[in-house]
Amino acid sequence: MGLKEYINDIFEAVVTTAKGMRITARYGVDASEEVTQQYPEVRREPDDRFRGFLHNDIAKCTSCSMCVKVCPMDCISLEAVRGADKKFVLVSYEINIGRCMYCGLCVEACPTDSLVHTRGYEKASVDRGELILHFVHEDPAGIRARVAKQVAEAAAKAAEAAKAAEAAKAAASLAAPAATPAAASPAAPAATPAAANPPAKDDPEKKG
Amino acid sequence: MEALARSLVQAVPAIAGVPFWTVTLLVMVVTAAVLLVFALTFGGVGSYVLRKVAGDIQVRIGPNRVGPYGILQFLADGVKLILKEDIIPAKADRFLFVLAPYLVFIGSFAAFVVVPFGVGLIAADLNIGVYYVMAITSLVVVGILMAGWASNNKWALLGGMRAAAQIVSYEIPVGMAILPAVLIAGSLSLQDIVRSQGGLLGVFGWNLFHNPFTFFSFFLYFTAAQAETNQTPFDLPEAESELVSGYNVEYSGIRYAFFFLAEFGDMFIVAALATACFLGGWHVPFFRADALPALWGNLLSLGVFLVKAFGLVLVMMWVRWTLPRLRVDQLMRMAWKYLVPLTFANLLGVSLWLLVFKGKGIPQMIASIF
Amino acid sequence: MTTPAEALHTQEMLINMGPQHPSTHGVLRVLLRTDGEVVVNARPDMGYLHRGLEKIGERVTYAQFMPFTDRLDYLAAMNCNCAWAWAVEKLAGIEAPERAEYIRVIVCELNRISSHLIAFGSFTADMGAFTPFLYSIRERERVNDLFEMTCGNRLTYNYARVGGVSADLPRGFLEKTKEFLDYFEPKIDEYNKLISYNKIFVHRLANVAVITGEEAVAYGLTGPNLRGSGVAFDLRKDEPYSVYPKLDFQVCVGSGERGTLGDCFDRYMVRINEMRESVKILRQAIARIPEGPVLAKVPRVFKPAAAEVYVRTECPRGETGFYVISDGTVLPNRLKIRAGSFVTMNIFEKVTRGLMIADIVAVIGSFDIILPEIDR
Repeated sequence: MGLKEYINDIFEAVVTTAKGMRITARYGVDASEEVTQQYPEVRREPDDRFRGFLHNDIAKCTSCSMCVKVCPMDCISLEAVRGADKKFVLVSYEINIGRCMYCGLCVEACPTDSLVHTRGYEKASVDRGELILHFVHEDPAGIRARVAKQVAEAAAKAAEAAKAAEAAKAAASLAAPAATPAAASPAAPAATPAAANPPAKDDPEKKG
Repeated sequence: MEALARSLVQAVPAIAGVPFWTVTLLVMVVTAAVLLVFALTFGGVGSYVLRKVAGDIQVRIGPNRVGPYGILQFLADGVKLILKEDIIPAKADRFLFVLAPYLVFIGSFAAFVVVPFGVGLIAADLNIGVYYVMAITSLVVVGILMAGWASNNKWALLGGMRAAAQIVSYEIPVGMAILPAVLIAGSLSLQDIVRSQGGLLGVFGWNLFHNPFTFFSFFLYFTAAQAETNQTPFDLPEAESELVSGYNVEYSGIRYAFFFLAEFGDMFIVAALATACFLGGWHVPFFRADALPALWGNLLSLGVFLVKAFGLVLVMMWVRWTLPRLRVDQLMRMAWKYLVPLTFANLLGVSLWLLVFKGKGIPQMIASIF
Repeated sequence: MTTPAEALHTQEMLINMGPQHPSTHGVLRVLLRTDGEVVVNARPDMGYLHRGLEKIGERVTYAQFMPFTDRLDYLAAMNCNCAWAWAVEKLAGIEAPERAEYIRVIVCELNRISSHLIAFGSFTADMGAFTPFLYSIRERERVNDLFEMTCGNRLTYNYARVGGVSADLPRGFLEKTKEFLDYFEPKIDEYNKLISYNKIFVHRLANVAVITGEEAVAYGLTGPNLRGSGVAFDLRKDEPYSVYPKLDFQVCVGSGERGTLGDCFDRYMVRINEMRESVKILRQAIARIPEGPVLAKVPRVFKPAAAEVYVRTECPRGETGFYVISDGTVLPNRLKIRAGSFVTMNIFEKVTRGLMIADIVAVIGSFDIILPEIDR
């Protein structure tokens, strides 16, 4: 290695080091350059579209199960029973946010927008069970019983209504044969004037 | 030490009855304790400052939870390290494993004895001061090699071997770069070297401005000494990203703390030596500190010395957070092909200068014109 | 007569650069056989992060597989998302609207910038300069803020859909992106001043692990690793897709400026220069993006015809390709993921012979591998 290269090496080393040290000195001295925030005293608010924990508004939920079918991780489970009005009633709705990968496919699939992402992200817990969120707060057995009762009542009512209709129909048919001969004679003379009418009706048409 | 013991006996007549050697021993123990406390405090506070400086340079806040502005962080770290489980690997060489941290710490701490803190503030003004420092800091190599070998870990062994090669190689430029100061003072004693930079020339009395060769010598010494202390860019033995902490990878708790404190102790020694030899030591610019009454003079000179030494330590930290790490063969190349020839040439230059100009530096020559 | 070296019995060391290591960019195990500091053989042992993604692809539908592509190369998740979307669209013959294609290019290039920032930061941190990593993270956080504004997540985006993107850009996104670009472009020069041309850094990387152009092509390297060896092959130019034909940018090629052509420094500089080119592409895309819909009509129950297709895209780590075989049902029959990092590991053993242990770290960093992509 020649002397010129040697000196150049040393010179370059010193110059590049000095340039780098100037940049770090500027950052070191300038306190406004600090970008870290003191969490949790200063908490950064996530954006509007942030995909935090999931929340299902069960008042709007129609138990269509689209979210269950779409979830790649199988973390949503729901149970529903058909109510008296043939619509689903939600018995239990659980999301395991420990398994969830916050992909948002379920929120996209929800037709009523009842399932949404919140902006929450702080749920460190020591027990995995805490990470299963339940959205139906009533006891499932209670709901089932209530719905079953409603369904039974509706069925009973329907049965009664059916019986009443049957009875009415039977009563009507009993009255009908007695009425028919009486009904037939007025019906016959009623039929002839009806038959006579059409020619009279036709005349104005023929005229016009 | 004996002089101090004598003056103590004179000052406190009550202990005149005690045999003299006891008093001397007591004085020695107290001095050692003071130095130890200083070294440990410096290690702790130094680590806090290191992390804060790192945070500032890296656009983040450093430690700030423990105590106001995080100032008690080092105490928390110390307590944590003391309470940690002391793990000795199963197949490790127990005796060497346990001995190594002590050797490393002794190698670093024993050099505090000759650091000239102030006017008359030196534990032992050995007439071979510089030579003693060079010799005793070499003990660190033995300790590191022991640590690397006894850990029964190939990564530690690699770190130990690299450290041995590095420290031994860089001793030569360090020694040669210090020699100009010795030549100018005409003595190996550090207090003599500091005194030779005194006088009313103030800042220009420093060896740094004596002649161009000593100017370069200062930077060469600083570079070589940064390698002695295993600081980036020369921190191969404990390269965090390659060797996962190198030779001290198997050490936990207080044994690790010893290595850590030894590293900071070394940093201070390097800075102290550089201050003493090149930056005027405890001389207050344009002021005669030894003319003041004893206590004030001591304190003022101590303060000035510490300010200068801590400034150099900060510069070392600044360089540490800027530069990447040298590879081991590049490290060796830099030592043997660059630093050794340059320091040789420097030494030759200083010797010739002193011969030609009869020991006078540039500021003195300028001053003698007026 | 035996020389002292021959007479002295030396042993090779077998060191395990284990799955837990600060510099292997993930859980990569490298079995090093060294003669002191010089490496005799370095064999990579992969598979610590294998999650069976290709098998998962056979039991979820095409739309459901999108979030899994995020986890393929999580630092360039947008690129992988869009690659999967392009693959499925080619399979089914769907065309995404133009605005969707522009949006895809914008987010892909932003993700290229943030991926190269991490590559740059972690590489310099491995080399011992801890500071530039923090600076690159600071820039990356701003890119993450932009992504959070758009799709809601900061790392695993799940943004592309078969037929377009899931949601239109929010109001203010383009202005904020322009602000970011104006802020970021001078930072690249700052990085170069701070570390790229630093003598120690250059010495660590120059002439280390030289890969010639022919070797690179023979071993199947792609992306910056290939271009670092001087081969000007960029899928965005040579097999253009999406709206790249309408955008003007250079292909960054290594030039051997500080050592030999094809060494670690060239690969590193290619990434730095690619960040600059991405900024150029982004400015053009922001200026040209048209209005319109962002999602084409795709049937809810998506059953593409039985066919097979291979689509490859230029991801920050090389070529990410999806080979999809469909059998006419809602689930793919087989999908194979070609990842740039996996193929790059092929040359690892050859290129590390004779290097020092410190250079192994430099090589891994210059290849910019990421383990989820290697192990899938």
